[in-house]
Amino acid sequence: MRDIFFDLSVRSVRLNFMRSLLASIGIVIGVVAISSMGMLGANMQLSVKQQLSSDVNTVMISSDVVRTTSNAGTPSTSEGVTKSQLNDIKNAAGTNVVIPIHRTNTQFTIGSTDGRGSIYGFDPNDIEKFLTLDVGDIPRGANDAVVGSNLATNFNLVVGTRIKIGPPNTADRPTIRVSGILPARGFASDGINTDNAIIVGDTWYTNQYGDKDVYNQVNVIVKNVDTISAVETAIDDKVNRKTQVIRISDASSRLTSITQTLGTITTFILAIGGISLVVAAVSIFNVMMMSVNERVHEIGILLSIGTEKGEVRRMFLYEAFILGIIGAGVGGICSLVIGYSVVSAMIGNTTYFFLPDSILYVPEGMLIGIVVCIVSGVYPAWKASNMDPIDALRSE
Amino acid sequence: MSENPLIRLVDVTKVYHLESGDFTALNHVSLDIMENEFVAIMGPSGSGKSTMMNQLGILDVPTSGELFIDGKNVALMTQLERTHMRRDTIGYVFQKFYLIPLLSAYENVEYPLILRYKHRDATGKAADVLKSVGFDKEMSSHRPNQLSGGQQQRVAIARALVNDPKIILCDEPTGNLDRKTGLQIMDLLVGLHQRGKTVILVTHDAKIAEYAHRTIELDDGRVVGS
Repeated sequence: MRDIFFDLSVRSVRLNFMRSLLASIGIVIGVVAISSMGMLGANMQLSVKQQLSSDVNTVMISSDVVRTTSNAGTPSTSEGVTKSQLNDIKNAAGTNVVIPIHRTNTQFTIGSTDGRGSIYGFDPNDIEKFLTLDVGDIPRGANDAVVGSNLATNFNLVVGTRIKIGPPNTADRPTIRVSGILPARGFASDGINTDNAIIVGDTWYTNQYGDKDVYNQVNVIVKNVDTISAVETAIDDKVNRKTQVIRISDASSRLTSITQTLGTITTFILAIGGISLVVAAVSIFNVMMMSVNERVHEIGILLSIGTEKGEVRRMFLYEAFILGIIGAGVGGICSLVIGYSVVSAMIGNTTYFFLPDSILYVPEGMLIGIVVCIVSGVYPAWKASNMDPIDALRSE
Repeated sequence: MSENPLIRLVDVTKVYHLESGDFTALNHVSLDIMENEFVAIMGPSGSGKSTMMNQLGILDVPTSGELFIDGKNVALMTQLERTHMRRDTIGYVFQKFYLIPLLSAYENVEYPLILRYKHRDATGKAADVLKSVGFDKEMSSHRPNQLSGGQQQRVAIARALVNDPKIILCDEPTGNLDRKTGLQIMDLLVGLHQRGKTVILVTHDAKIAEYAHRTIELDDGRVVGS
């Protein structure tokens, strides 16, 4: 049989149904805000993680940007990995694939349209080691180039299109010919973002930009991803043995960094959702205070015939709990529907929606909603239980 | 008279501290009420009857003096002990019935049993007590606002009796009832006294006070006749 104080609370909620319903709607909104935002964040993280984790076998090596010379006292900069460092990297990397990369930004003209983008210089034979072509072929001729998908779409590029490289109105600009088009790659975790880029052979690149034996980045594609830490350590021991001259990172650390950033964003939007719960808490507090004030006489009766203070407190906490249960229950159901819609609309992929990392935001949101209700009811319950029974009885 | 009264007031004074100044509602009152007495407390408005009821019902404590109920000094009891004494030793019958509006007639009677035993009544005691005060069983599920004044007062008396208290405190129990119903209620109280209960009745109606075996008259916070 149910606790009579619970029955009293249920009846009080029923008696003031509309008021209770409105207060619970506040909790519904709060739970939906927290759960949906949480699920959106979780799905974003899971989606990005999935996209990036296919490239975790790549170690990225770049030069430490600034080194201070030991004798002159003035800083000299090193903006690339040198040839000798590359050789050391190759030695340390063993049989793993090492890809030196040149990179800069450039202006270009296609027909009469000017544009701007990245330009990469690779050994043409390296291209196929980590990129696949959508259309055409890798650069075979000296002036051949491969272009990214966005560039191709935006400028209607096809195999054979010619591109003038360099600022407009410059005399004798070199021209390249599109030999192949890459598929969309998105935000690549190996640091090579090709979608808006032109990829030329390293010979063409160094002829134009110099820096023949200096590379902006060197990627090592590890055959066995489990050995990635060992390869990094070997390279570090070999190249950085005296001073820190190169920086070694891999996609996993970048992945961690990105997921951490997304985690921070998720926490931020959760906090925004939490504000609605604060508003709901004020609403519940208000309703509970009204309930106490309307039932002063009843509280007087209860206390005068021997009801313990704790029992009066319990009765009002039950009432807050019931409002929380209603709000959290409806909020939980709405969260599933709204959360699914939001994730579908904003991420375009609901593959991860029902995974524990995502769906657990619903019970968490519900629990927070219930706790908020109970906490909001603590003061009104305390106030009710500490009334003077004589004053309360006189309050008619 | 027995040497151990059920209720003993020794020089009890109750002072209310009001903005307009201190107001002495009970002024050095001393009296004994023995077990199985039927006592009426009478007095004009403002004489201290309600304050006396609050003291006897341990809803309040004296400012000075000592109040003993069932041998225990009320001032020395904890708040929880006083709550338990209100629940177990004293049954209240109020002029305005003071039933719990959200509970049915039956649940109102069952309520003190739940307070005492911490579970719903499975013994049928609540129903038996309701029956003993002449309450129509078919009305048990009705809420107080669906009952007449007489029916509500019967429920209130059943509620006061259900934990088998030694003392029944009645504050103008017929004040809100027509004469016929009032007399029925008084017959019930007489019956309770005959069954061994100590009945204390606050009234300003001399006819009602005649049911009691002793009348304590209050005036200006003092006992002026007993």
